[in-house]
Amino acid sequence: MSTFSGINAAQSALQAARAGIDVAGQNMNNLTTEGYTRQRVTLASVAPTGRIGMLASPTFSAGQGVAVTGIARLANEMLDQKVRSTAASAGFSYVRASALSGLEKSLNEPSTTGISAQLTDFWSSWQTLSNSPNSDAAAAVVIEEGTALAAQIKQGYTAVSSQWDSLRGNASLQVNELNAAAAQVAELNGMIRSALASGTPTNAMLDQRSMLTSSIATFAGGTVTQNTDGTVDVLLGGNMLVSGTTANAVTLAGPRSIDGSGAGTNPDGTAGATAVQLEWVSRPGAAIALDGGELGGAVSMLAPGGALALAADSYNAMATALTKKVNEGLAKGQTASGATDFFKLPTSGAAALGLTIIPTKASEIASRAIGGGALDGSIADKISLIGKQADSPDALWSATVTSIGATTKTELKLSVLADLAATSASTNQLANSSVDLDEENVNLLMSQQAYNAAARVLTTMDEMLDTLINRTGLVGR
Amino acid sequence: MITRVTSTTMMNSASRNMQSAAAELSRLQEKASTQKNISRPSDDPAGTAAALQVRADQKLNAQYTKNVADGNEWLTTVDSTLSSVTALLQRANVLTVQGANDGALTLAAKETIAMELESIRDSLLAASNTQYAGRSVFAGTSDAGHAFTAADGNYTYAGVAGSSVERRIGEGQTIRVDGDGAAIFGEGTDSVFAALDAIAADLRAGVNIGPRITSVATHLTTVSSQQAVIGSRQATVLSAGETLLDAKVSLESRRVSIEDVDLAEIILDLKMQETAYQASLAVTARALQPTLMDFLS
Repeated sequence: MSTFSGINAAQSALQAARAGIDVAGQNMNNLTTEGYTRQRVTLASVAPTGRIGMLASPTFSAGQGVAVTGIARLANEMLDQKVRSTAASAGFSYVRASALSGLEKSLNEPSTTGISAQLTDFWSSWQTLSNSPNSDAAAAVVIEEGTALAAQIKQGYTAVSSQWDSLRGNASLQVNELNAAAAQVAELNGMIRSALASGTPTNAMLDQRSMLTSSIATFAGGTVTQNTDGTVDVLLGGNMLVSGTTANAVTLAGPRSIDGSGAGTNPDGTAGATAVQLEWVSRPGAAIALDGGELGGAVSMLAPGGALALAADSYNAMATALTKKVNEGLAKGQTASGATDFFKLPTSGAAALGLTIIPTKASEIASRAIGGGALDGSIADKISLIGKQADSPDALWSATVTSIGATTKTELKLSVLADLAATSASTNQLANSSVDLDEENVNLLMSQQAYNAAARVLTTMDEMLDTLINRTGLVGR
Repeated sequence: MITRVTSTTMMNSASRNMQSAAAELSRLQEKASTQKNISRPSDDPAGTAAALQVRADQKLNAQYTKNVADGNEWLTTVDSTLSSVTALLQRANVLTVQGANDGALTLAAKETIAMELESIRDSLLAASNTQYAGRSVFAGTSDAGHAFTAADGNYTYAGVAGSSVERRIGEGQTIRVDGDGAAIFGEGTDSVFAALDAIAADLRAGVNIGPRITSVATHLTTVSSQQAVIGSRQATVLSAGETLLDAKVSLESRRVSIEDVDLAEIILDLKMQETAYQASLAVTARALQPTLMDFLS
C-alpha cells in the first residue's frame, strides 16, 4: 500500500462530501419548484487495488476511499403513472361537472322569474281573458305573457347554445396546448436520449418531461410507455401521439354550432364529422377514442346526445308543445277572420329561437267557442287548463329541470370523488419526490461532518508524514 | 407504504383543508343569506320538482281567488236585481187582484191600474237589462248590451240559447254566475212583460182580468225559485273562496318546508363551521412554522 494512497482516499471523501452538500443545496433551492424531484448522491466505496507480483505485501488494505457514482432522481414510475391516470379522470369529471353547473344555473329554477313561473302566469292570463273575452286589456296581458314566455324560451336556448360554443372554443384551445405539449415531449425525448449517450445529467429534463406527460393526461388521458433508450411513447386511443422524437398532431373536428352546422368537409372531400371529435391531422374523419381527460369530458358534453344538446332539444320541444297545445285548443274556437292560431313556429332553424305570437288584440284570439255567444270565453278557459295536463309544456319543463338537476348532482359527486383520487395520487407522488427541509438539513449536516472527518483524516496523514520525514532518524541528536 | 411527510405535502394538505373548510363556510353562508334550501336544481332534484309544482299551484290559487271574487260580484248583482224584480211582481200581483174586482172600479181607476202595471213592466225591463262591469247579467254570452228589447209589444231575448257565463273556481269546478234571462223573465208572448201588457190591455178593454191573476203569480214563483238557485250558487262560490284561502295557507307552508331553510339550524351550522375554519387557520399557522432550521445554530 502506497503512503500517499491514504491522502488520495481522504481527498475522494472530501469530494463526496462536497457533492453531498451541493445536492442538498440543490434540493433546498428547489423546495418550491413545481415538478422538481428530489435528488440523492449515490456513493460507493472504492475497493483496494489487487496486490499481485513481487511487491505484493501480505498486509491488508482498507480500500481507496469513496466514489460519487451518480446523482439519483428519486422518482417512482408507478406513482407517476397513478397521478396521470387519476388526473385524466379528474379532468374528465371536472369539465362535465362545471359545464352541467353552468347549464343548471342558466335554467334559473326554482325562482319567481323562471320559465315555470312564466308558464303559470301565461295560463292564468287565459283565465282572466276567459272572464272578459272582449277586453283588449285582458288580451294584451295574454299576448304580453305569451311574448315573455317565448322570449324566455329563446333566452334559455341561446344560453345553452353559447355555453356549447364556449366549451367548444375552450376545447380547441386545449387541443393546441395538447399538440404543443406533445411536441415538447418529443423534443425532450431527443435531448434525453443524446444526454444519456454522452453521460450528461438528465434529471432536470426528466422532471420537465414528467410534468408534460401529466398535463397531456389531464387534457386527453392516454398512456405513457417507457422505452429502453430513455425516451417515452405517449398513446392516445391506442395510437402514437408521441413516438420517440416524433409528435403526431391532433385536431378538433365536427360541427361548430349546437344545431350541428359548420362541420365542413374533410380534405378528401367527404363530409365532416356529425359529432365533435378529436382526430389525427393525418387521418381526417376517424375519431380518437378518448378514455378521459378534459377533452374527453368536453367531447362527451358536446356530443349530439350530450347534456347540452338534450337541454337545447328540451327548449325546442317546449316551444313545439306550447304551439301545438295552444293552437289545437284554439282551433275549436272562432274569430271574425277565421284564423285561430296563437303561436307560430319558425319555418326553419331552432323552434325555440323563432317562436312568435300572431294575435294583436282580443278579437283575434279565438277565446269563443263555435256556436257560443259573442262574449263566450269557454275556449280561453280550456286553454288555461293546459298547464295541468300530463303532457303539458309545464310537465316537460319540470322533467327537464329535474333531470338536469339529478345529472348535475351525480356529476358533481363524481367530480369530487375523482378529485379525491387525484389528490391522493398526487400526495403519494409528492410524499415520495418532494423535498423535505428537515431531511435536507440532516443531509447537509452529515455531509458537513463527513467533510470535517475527511479533513481530519488528511491532517492525521499529514502529521504522520511530518513525523516520518522530519523527525525520523533524529534520535539522540 | 408509510407516507413520507415533507414540508411540501404538509403545506399542500394544510391549504387543501383550509380550502375545503372555506368552501363549506361559503356554502353555508349562501344558504343563510338567501334563506333557500334549494338555490339550484342539483341541491335537491326531487325537491325542485315539488317546488315548481307548489309554485304553480300557488299562482293558480291566486287566479281562482280572483275568479271567485268576480263571480261573487256577478251573483250579488243578479241576486239584488231579482229581489227588486220580486218586489215589483208582488206589487203587480196586488194591482192585478185589485183590477179583477170589476164592479167596484171606475174606468178611470182601471186606467190608473193599467198605467201603473205598464210602469212596472218598464221597471222590469230595465231590471232585466241590469249590467255588471259593462256586461248584461241576464243576457248570457251575448254582446248586445241588453237582455230584452221591446218593439211593438214583442219582447226578444238577446242571449244565446243554452249558453251561460261560467267562472272557474277550482281545477275541475266552474260555476254559472249569470241569471238565465229566458227562464226568469220568459220569452216573447210568454214573457212577464207580455203578461203585464195583456192585463193592462184587458183592463182598458173592460175585460175581467180575474183569469190572469195566476199568470202573474206563476212568474212570481219562477223568479223566487231562480233567486233561490242564484243564492245557492253564491253560497258555493263563497265556500270555494274559503277553501282557496285555506289552500293558500297550506300551499305556502308546503313551499316553505320544501324551499326555505330552518333558520336556527343554518345559523348553528354556520357558527360551527366558522369555528372549524378558524381552528384550521390556527392549527395551520402553528404546524407550518417549525423546521429543523429553527433549532440549528
